[in-house]
Amino acid sequence: MKKTIYLLLLTSILTFGNEKPTLTVYTYDAFAASWGPAPKVKKAFEKTCDCNIKFVGVSSSIATLRKIQLEGKKTKADVILGLDTAIAQVAKETKLFSPHGLDTSIIDLPNSYKDDTFVPFDYSYFAFVYDEKKIKNIPDSFESLASMPEDFKIVIQDPRSSTPGLGLLLWVKSIYGDKTVDYWKRLSPHILTITKGWSEAYSLFLKGEADMVLSYTTSPAYHMIEENKYNIKSADFKEGHYAQIEVAAIVKSSKQKELGKKFLEFLYTKEFAQLIPTANWAYPVIKGVKLHKDFDKLHKPKEFILMDGKEVEEKRKAIINEWLSAVQK
Amino acid sequence: MKRFKGSTLLGGALSFALLSFSFLIFYTLYTAQETNLFTQVDSKIYGLLKFTIFQAFLSTVLSVFVGLLLAWALSHQTNFKGRSTLIALFSSSLVLPTLIVVFGIIGIFGRQGYINQISLYFFDTSFGTYLYGLGGILLAHVYLNASFALRSLLHSFEAIPKEKYKLAKSLNFSVLKCFYYVEYPALKSSLLSISSTIFLLCFTSFAVVLLLGGNPSYNTLEVAIYEAVKLDFDIETALKLALIQLSISVVLVVLSSSFKISTSNIKTSNTFIVWKNSKKIQTLQWFIIFVFTIFFISPLIVIFLDGLSANFTKILSDKIFIQSFFTSITLATVSSIITVIAAILLSNTRRNFSLDTRLASNPFSKILNLFIAFSGNIYLAIPSLVLGLGFFMMYQKYDGSFVLWSTFALITANVLMSLPFALAVIAPAMQKIAKRYDKLSFSLGLSTFQRYKEVELPYLKSSIAYVFTLSFCFSLGDLGIIALFGSDEFITLPWYLYQLMGSYNTNDAAGVALILLILVLAVFILIPRIFRSKNA
Repeated sequence: MKKTIYLLLLTSILTFGNEKPTLTVYTYDAFAASWGPAPKVKKAFEKTCDCNIKFVGVSSSIATLRKIQLEGKKTKADVILGLDTAIAQVAKETKLFSPHGLDTSIIDLPNSYKDDTFVPFDYSYFAFVYDEKKIKNIPDSFESLASMPEDFKIVIQDPRSSTPGLGLLLWVKSIYGDKTVDYWKRLSPHILTITKGWSEAYSLFLKGEADMVLSYTTSPAYHMIEENKYNIKSADFKEGHYAQIEVAAIVKSSKQKELGKKFLEFLYTKEFAQLIPTANWAYPVIKGVKLHKDFDKLHKPKEFILMDGKEVEEKRKAIINEWLSAVQK
Repeated sequence: MKRFKGSTLLGGALSFALLSFSFLIFYTLYTAQETNLFTQVDSKIYGLLKFTIFQAFLSTVLSVFVGLLLAWALSHQTNFKGRSTLIALFSSSLVLPTLIVVFGIIGIFGRQGYINQISLYFFDTSFGTYLYGLGGILLAHVYLNASFALRSLLHSFEAIPKEKYKLAKSLNFSVLKCFYYVEYPALKSSLLSISSTIFLLCFTSFAVVLLLGGNPSYNTLEVAIYEAVKLDFDIETALKLALIQLSISVVLVVLSSSFKISTSNIKTSNTFIVWKNSKKIQTLQWFIIFVFTIFFISPLIVIFLDGLSANFTKILSDKIFIQSFFTSITLATVSSIITVIAAILLSNTRRNFSLDTRLASNPFSKILNLFIAFSGNIYLAIPSLVLGLGFFMMYQKYDGSFVLWSTFALITANVLMSLPFALAVIAPAMQKIAKRYDKLSFSLGLSTFQRYKEVELPYLKSSIAYVFTLSFCFSLGDLGIIALFGSDEFITLPWYLYQLMGSYNTNDAAGVALILLILVLAVFILIPRIFRSKNA
């Protein structure tokens, strides 16, 4: 009897001693992975707060939003990280996220994105990535991409689950307008497969299953810096590139709102911004961060395309349905 | 009448519960819709339906054709070493996790697969990409279902009296004539039931289409339901699709009411057919056996080859792997125990109504029997994703933790999935026991418990072990409902593997695939053997 009491006491002390608040962040798998930015971000953020941070990886970016919708009020998520400005407005409409109330004026982006709920944490440009050693004729526009030989295959992501996938649809739409369906019909023989998330697509490309993959202009930096490989490049498209600004927000049902706010604030500190380029392979959202020298080798589009979030929200369903009907055989 | 009260009531109650459960699923889905189902069946759904039926039809024709060829070849080649091993191997396809099969098929036929690599090495050209899409779906379906068709077709071939062959030979029938006049009549009924089973399986195919479809135009209804929930969070569309799927599969199940799954272990008879076929025909038969064996074995070999180079210390020490491993084993154990008990209860009630020594004379016995049979087969009418969506709607409606609901959903799905097979094995066995020992045990006045202990169990032991094994392997390898319920807190081995396949981790995926394959094969081979040897 005495023993059990001691044991009970001991366990209660242990649990009390451990009771730091935990912040749960839902994000896409490539961010949460052991080789992704999450471990570095965790280390840096936990230094500044007396807390634990837990990253939960979901198969794709938009899937993080779906997961929170599926779990409803019982969700364990405190913060959602990894949506982009295209889907953020759709996410806001679900009323599952609360305003951050932060002063974000320090944030410096290619455009002037400001939102009361979502905080940007990095940006980049969509681009098709290829292996220089494997393909000779590199398409330099959407037109030349569609007129590649028939066995030239690309992997793209599903616009319903992945922000790059949605980004590509918006990219094509803003170039082709009324002729979008026609373009997709021409491109569709080249689509090897449509994956749910970015990492699935990218791994197919790395395995050599496809000639090109929809990724970012900043993706080659990973191969240069981490692997010393200079043969992975992004194709420069004449029509211009679509920009992606990745964002994060606090979940309304969260019991750790203060901590969540702290975390969002952390996303535009120098500490975080210094991590981003070589952890998430994208550009930081504040000035004054020195980039690795290999970033100079990347192609940085002078002009970029970015649809307004409100416009996307209105047209998203129609654009996706249009695309679905075009790629159906 | 009194004597059978206990045995009838338990199984009857279970049967009733199963039927009410399927009604509850239907009710939940139906009432959850906001707009009426039939107001808008748009062109997207029509296209989806067209493809689903189209691929199921093609898959069925191909699978049955290949299975028939193989059964024909094997039934004529009765004397070679390893024949029974080969047949046992083919029949193991029943328990091979779909995910594993697809993984192996990608390893061979994928763009970087062995076929392309070999062709690249020798001829400097590759066939490129041909796997993703309809081709891949058909390939995987034929792999899984041709060997499934083989089991019962071979059985029917071997049941043909040898005298008929003699007669055909004396009439100098050609091979085709012999097939038409001798073999086909004997195969007809099992061809029909096997075709309807395979059609239903392909109609509701999920994992194969999910992995090899690769394009929204290659979706089946099941995958579309999954996508509507998981990608779009468009519950309205998902409900619509689920109700369409549900109504079609119910119609299919009713249409194929002659539906029977023969899972009897095939005894390979070595009866010598006196007159052998001509050399040409024999060569053809060997060719068929050889080609299919290669086709069947190579994906498994690829899993072994690719798996062996994986870093097992890393995989085995991975927290998520350990978690998913134990979740899978626990779920499989619980589900298979429940399956065995449910199968015994249902069979027990059923035999009461079909034996003259018992209650067969009861005026309602026929219809009651039908109900019990249907309640054991509801899984065929309610495909896993529809079931999953039903559970999901219940979770949203009622309280309870997500993990609890997930566990409940998975166990239910596993049990329902195994029940048709379990009943096909246990019901005939229990029927036989009752027929043989009813009089004796009634005259001895054995109590129900004594009866089970002394009479039933010794005879049922190997059947129970077989059912347990089947159910265990089914649960272990299933990628269906877990696709809706899988999360970081609740993860099974197939779900973990699916996620690894979708990330950079091809090496780890190969390792986990190998572990899962070995686990399933070990259980499938070892458990029945342990019980058989004890019994002997």
